Amino acid sequence: MRKGLLPGIFVLAVVMSFAPSGPLQAAQTIKIGINAPLTGDIPKVGEGTKFAAQMWLEDVKKAGGITVGKRKIPVELVLEDNESKAESAVKVATKMITEDDVLVMIGPQASKQAVPAGGIANNYKTPMISPWSTNPDTTKDRPYVFRACFLDPFQGPVLANFITSEFKFTKAAVLYDVASDYPKGLAEFFKQAWEKLHGKGSVVAYESFTTKDTDFSSQLTKIINSGAQVLFTPQYYNEVALIVQQAHQLGWKKPIVGSDSWGSAELVNLCGKDCYGDFFSTHYAAAGAKGATKAFIDRYKAKYGYVPDDVAALTWDSMNLAQTAIRNTGGLTGDLKKDRENVRNALARIKKFKGITGEMTFSGTGDPSKCAVIVKISDKGEFTFFKSVCP
Amino acid sequence: MVIFLQNLVNALQWGSFYALIALGYSMVYSILMLFNFAHGDIFMVGAYIGFGVSVGLIGLAHSGLLPMPHWLILVLTILVSMFLTSFVGMIVERVGYRPLRNAPRASAAITGLMIGIILETGNLILLGARRVSFPSLIETATYDVGGVILTNKKIMIVGVSLLLSLALHQFVRRTKWGMAMRAMAFDSVVVPLMGVPLNTMAALTFAIGSALAAAAGILFGVAYPVLDPYMGIVFGWKAFVAAILGGRGSILGATLAGFLLGFTEIFVAMVFPSTLRDLIAYSIILLILTFRPHGFFGEPYSARLRL
Amino acid sequence: MAPPTTFRTFRAGWSRVPLIGWLFGALLAVTLERLVGGPLAAAVGLPKIPALFGLDIMLKKPLLIPNAFLYVLLVYGLPMGFATRASIAPANRLAAGLLRLPITVTTFVYIVFLYVIFHVWAEVNDYRALVLKLTLIAIMFTLSLNVINGYMGEFSCSHPGFMALGAYCASVFSLGLFVDTRFFGTALLPPALGPFVFPVALLLGGLLAAAGALIVAVPSFRTRGDYLAIISLAFLFIVKSLIENLEYVRGPRGLSGQPDWANLPTVFLWTVACIWSINNFVTSTIGKALNAVRDNEMAANAMTVDTRRTKMVAFLFAAFWAGIAGGLFAHVLRYVNPGTFGIQSLAEVLAMVYFGGLNSVYGSIVGAVSISLLGEALRPLEIFKWIIIPLLLILVMIYRPTGLIAFKDVDVTALFRPRTGPDEEV
Repeated sequence: MRKGLLPGIFVLAVVMSFAPSGPLQAAQTIKIGINAPLTGDIPKVGEGTKFAAQMWLEDVKKAGGITVGKRKIPVELVLEDNESKAESAVKVATKMITEDDVLVMIGPQASKQAVPAGGIANNYKTPMISPWSTNPDTTKDRPYVFRACFLDPFQGPVLANFITSEFKFTKAAVLYDVASDYPKGLAEFFKQAWEKLHGKGSVVAYESFTTKDTDFSSQLTKIINSGAQVLFTPQYYNEVALIVQQAHQLGWKKPIVGSDSWGSAELVNLCGKDCYGDFFSTHYAAAGAKGATKAFIDRYKAKYGYVPDDVAALTWDSMNLAQTAIRNTGGLTGDLKKDRENVRNALARIKKFKGITGEMTFSGTGDPSKCAVIVKISDKGEFTFFKSVCP
Repeated sequence: MVIFLQNLVNALQWGSFYALIALGYSMVYSILMLFNFAHGDIFMVGAYIGFGVSVGLIGLAHSGLLPMPHWLILVLTILVSMFLTSFVGMIVERVGYRPLRNAPRASAAITGLMIGIILETGNLILLGARRVSFPSLIETATYDVGGVILTNKKIMIVGVSLLLSLALHQFVRRTKWGMAMRAMAFDSVVVPLMGVPLNTMAALTFAIGSALAAAAGILFGVAYPVLDPYMGIVFGWKAFVAAILGGRGSILGATLAGFLLGFTEIFVAMVFPSTLRDLIAYSIILLILTFRPHGFFGEPYSARLRL
Repeated sequence: MAPPTTFRTFRAGWSRVPLIGWLFGALLAVTLERLVGGPLAAAVGLPKIPALFGLDIMLKKPLLIPNAFLYVLLVYGLPMGFATRASIAPANRLAAGLLRLPITVTTFVYIVFLYVIFHVWAEVNDYRALVLKLTLIAIMFTLSLNVINGYMGEFSCSHPGFMALGAYCASVFSLGLFVDTRFFGTALLPPALGPFVFPVALLLGGLLAAAGALIVAVPSFRTRGDYLAIISLAFLFIVKSLIENLEYVRGPRGLSGQPDWANLPTVFLWTVACIWSINNFVTSTIGKALNAVRDNEMAANAMTVDTRRTKMVAFLFAAFWAGIAGGLFAHVLRYVNPGTFGIQSLAEVLAMVYFGGLNSVYGSIVGAVSISLLGEALRPLEIFKWIIIPLLLILVMIYRPTGLIAFKDVDVTALFRPRTGPDEEV
């Protein structure tokens, strides 16, 4: 009995290896991976990503799939949580690409995950679009990695120029989070641009803190006593609320300027009247938006109960960029490797894409050229359009 | 000089939070000889409970059912939340610590950590990823005293935290329960044999520690009105440092060390580039412990430690 | 509590299978999967070969749970079950024969065998390979922490700091010498030389971590327990803050683009070396001295144990392996940033150590593997994952306060011996 078993299994194995491969190629679907931080430090970002992607999926489902060539192909989202960790983002990217066979990967959002995950996507020659990562390293020397936002080296000078021309100030203070790559990078680019305009030493206070700090009194005391005319703080909206309030409590009465990370509807909830009248640069202005942008905002608000953050808007644009690229390939071959390459090439050729966060044009690299908007927080707490700056 | 005084005021406020949270650590430590690593998250829960209570009370006041001034709402919020959060503390003790009374101390530390994670995640599930804004219960009033800017909130925070530390000190010194606690801290083997109920004492300590954490949470909400589910982690670990720095189980020590930690962080940021704050502040603490290995008020290392 | 009799008699059939028999069975299973896994998966209605024993599919598509079970049974369960049982006699003879060889040769044979199984298993897809590599690194990391927290009985919180030092040192070395980067200039050495110099990079990382450990080890002479816990915690804050401020290693932006040298054989070899040396370390006299220091430092001192030397060696040794693990980690991810080595990573590794079991080499392996696999398998639950894993850990702590498999070192001869008796425990 025992002796018979082993050969028996081998015979079975050999027979099965020649068996027809079953109902594997039943229906072709396009799989799109969403690599989002649903848990961890920035769950809000993950939530925005998820909601925007689901809204997009609804639209596509209603249309019966993406029209590629002459066929309509149904779409499936592969949503995975990267826990806001670099290690997890790499695991998720590898899993999506090698296991789930996604055609395009959207995300990760934050640079600390997008940089390593971008390496994976590029190695496996799978197009990836990071909606929100502004670190130059994400797309650098990686033909398969794209992004939907502008870069820090663009945003820094935009703000420096804006402050100079608008207020005619010459002394600025900067307060940023030293442990987070986005604020640190932007703070550096702003400092560079500012010192180029006003000479060395014109950034009179260059202060920092660490992620999750809530008390900035020591740094703000320094800033207030440095004689700065404007405070630039490229922080996330939750920290902005604290910084602005504490600055006012310590007697700061001059303008405070921020960057696109301010662009959340929650800012005004958290910050209240203290933020009124301040400026920041961002991708789009929610109040007074027109056309597709307004439609998106209204729909999102009706569905999830709050005005979408810039992350949601950028994710929406990334999804549509992917859709446009897939459509532009003119037809899927069914060979995933070839299709991924085609989609990549189509992405790199996209010109004048009308996104809800502005017009995007890719020219060879993964970085779009798009305009930045300067937004003023009105006395009603709305983000109103103030000025548009294009590269 | 003005800058120095200004930072002194800032540090007093910042240190108050560390002191209040460190007290909770220290209390539990003196009785059970273990650290409640969920304490930072109890602080977070306390702040959220305070948020819920104050929003409810404001609603009540505005609807005209029970008109009351805002300062009364604040006082009520603090009292009610302290009361409610003490139950959270007792539940944590019952679930995570009592079953491990005879286990190695490190195992209890792990359950504490895990309960902390559950509290954070539970909050995230219940309230979603949104950060909440703590209602501003008192209007900020700023006073300029010779260039040093004070606010009524700052004065209140420092006052309340000193008051609470003092009250705790009196409680431990003067009452029967306090005496039982001190006795337990002195010897946790023999004292239960003398008829002091260990489990009741443990629950009581957790309740008091959690109530203090809740007070800290609400004061925190008043000063920094942005709450998020992960706000307790870093705070908890830093207060843990303060609690040990003060010496094990010493109320005075924990309060002082809490303020000291606040002072170190603020003044390092004042003197050095603020980028290096953590680096220098914690090097100082490391040095202190290298040369004074038992904190300020702790007794020298004895063979009492289990595992 | 005794298992039901039917189960016990069922299990008894395999009680005489020696380790080599299990390895044979596993090899058969993975080879089978490699050859016919695809069609077989399709035949039972799965879209692809399940990457992690079906764990990854089950929660995502609950409808496919029976299919996944069937697949695992067909590919792993049945072949392994039958092959091991059928080969009891020859396997025992082989095991006995192997034991007669010098122990190093025997061990070598077993390790090669194990590697072949891993290799075939991981070849099926790259996700498996990545998970396997990260799990092996987690084993090294957990094991090295167990030396301090388990064998020496301290509560050290500095381990992610040691890992960070190793990761950064190894990264700077390999990026500086072999890669053209904007921040370290052009490559100094030809990249072809890289894989041979990689061990040097790792060793340097380990040594730097060990040097960092001095900062924690020296205060440990005069204090222990909670005071040491916060000294080590302060050390962790300091390392993180230091790296964030070092513009040379690009601060919070992190280093990326490490060369792809940490392939499966490399990681596997280092892990084996780590387990081997730590196992030897803790079973040697110094390991016993460590336990003596843990149980009663004064008594140990009285018994002529040089407590200072013991503590120092343990710290340096543990930090060294944490540093190596860090170097490998950086080269597997090909990216490293200071944010990775914070409180969160500390909580994770502490969970692995205490879940697996204190004072135990097996325990660390079990802890690291189960938490890593659990983390991957529960990913589809999104946020609820962080309720379930902590709950599980609390339960383990309540019912087995020292962890799943505490106080158990690897005894190679016992592991390899043939199983001849009817009812021997493994």
